[in-house]
Amino acid sequence: MQVNLLHRPGSTVAQCLIQQGEVPVRAEAGAMIGMSPNVNMETSSGGLMKGVKAMFSGESFFTNKFTSTGGTAELLVATSLPGDMAILAVDSGAGAGGEWSIQRGAFVACEDTVEIDAKSGGLKGMFSGAGLIKLKASGKGQCLVGAFGALEPIDVEGSFVVDTGHLVAWQNTLDYKLTKAGGGFMAALMSGEGYVATFTGTGRIWIQTRNAQAYGQMIGPKMAPV
Amino acid sequence: MRHETVHGPSHALVKVHLDPGETVIAEAGSMVTHTAGMAMEVKMNAGGKAGCIGTLVAFFVAVVRKFVGGDSFFVNHFHGGQTGGTVTLAPALNGSIEVKDLAAGEKLMLTAGAYLASTPDINLEMRWGGLKGLLSKEGAFFVEASGPGKLMFNSYGGIYPVKVDGSYIVDNGHIVAFDSGLTFDIKSAGGGLMGMMASGEGLVCEFKGQGTVYLQSRNVSALVDWISRMG
Repeated sequence: MQVNLLHRPGSTVAQCLIQQGEVPVRAEAGAMIGMSPNVNMETSSGGLMKGVKAMFSGESFFTNKFTSTGGTAELLVATSLPGDMAILAVDSGAGAGGEWSIQRGAFVACEDTVEIDAKSGGLKGMFSGAGLIKLKASGKGQCLVGAFGALEPIDVEGSFVVDTGHLVAWQNTLDYKLTKAGGGFMAALMSGEGYVATFTGTGRIWIQTRNAQAYGQMIGPKMAPV
Repeated sequence: MRHETVHGPSHALVKVHLDPGETVIAEAGSMVTHTAGMAMEVKMNAGGKAGCIGTLVAFFVAVVRKFVGGDSFFVNHFHGGQTGGTVTLAPALNGSIEVKDLAAGEKLMLTAGAYLASTPDINLEMRWGGLKGLLSKEGAFFVEASGPGKLMFNSYGGIYPVKVDGSYIVDNGHIVAFDSGLTFDIKSAGGGLMGMMASGEGLVCEFKGQGTVYLQSRNVSALVDWISRMG
């Protein structure tokens, strides 16, 4: 597939051009905006266990596979929040640097040769608001991720701290530890920073400039009870 | 302290570079990333000159604000430490960040939720906006920032300054900040009850005096009303 990112960066749409005979494009349910008449869509869960696991990771139970029935087919996909999208190059043959961890909810679509697997983020992941489960992308191909706000790449060498609500994806050459933002009881309760991820090693992190949870906490309480 | 704003105007993020020993104060929850080796300290935003009683008053105000909504009232102090470092900050809503240098004694009034960050010399004090504040949809408390120093504030939508010379009328919900020399009154948009109910504009704020008012191009209440109807 060839991907063109249109309408960047505020409300990005990914235009995926699929040739006949090319590997299918697998997209998150609900991500499709439009498609040309020569696109064939097939819905599957990839098996019950896989579907259940996907639901736990913040993705949908079903995913859709798109192929071209003849010639160049056009598929438009996008993330649900206003923001930018990025293409991750996945290549397990290149080692850990070719594999990515993706924050739950950020996955939009990938070539079918990319394996998306739910990985437990552990107990800390559950309490941190960073999600119980993160996704691991392996195999070989392109993977599309979506952000809330703009995307900013950070090339880490050594050590770097990111608020978990702003994480989108990171290369698997990086290790991370979830810790509280500041020391002590006051910081944990009042700083509003909750948990942060401290990354170590060498590799790239993509962060988003807005935090969906913080947005919800700002807007939610203002809404009249239903 | 150096700073650069990126990804504006819709999803602005500010990078604050600190030299060793420097400090920046930021709204609770606004930190996106920071380099390793920086220290973060949470403090109650009681104002620089507050003594014991001031702190008690600040705590009381914090409790009230918890129910009224607005800024979190707790701020985080980021210290450059021994090597210096960079902290990035972003607001919760889609919008811009404005950075303003305040001269000594210069005062700017920020509406609820508009404060993002400041240098340590800036004094921040809570001002009770009262019924006028509530009717203006800008919160019952304003934050008064006094110079000298750098002040960063954020908006929902774009920020644009308007010079007021005499009088200027702004729809309630669109005010981000204003020179504290300006005064404002609440009025009916079209005059009288009919103008208020039927124009769709409801109440407006009329600023008087000489100075600058900073407006935002979107309105949080309008967003909330619109989303609520989607349910």
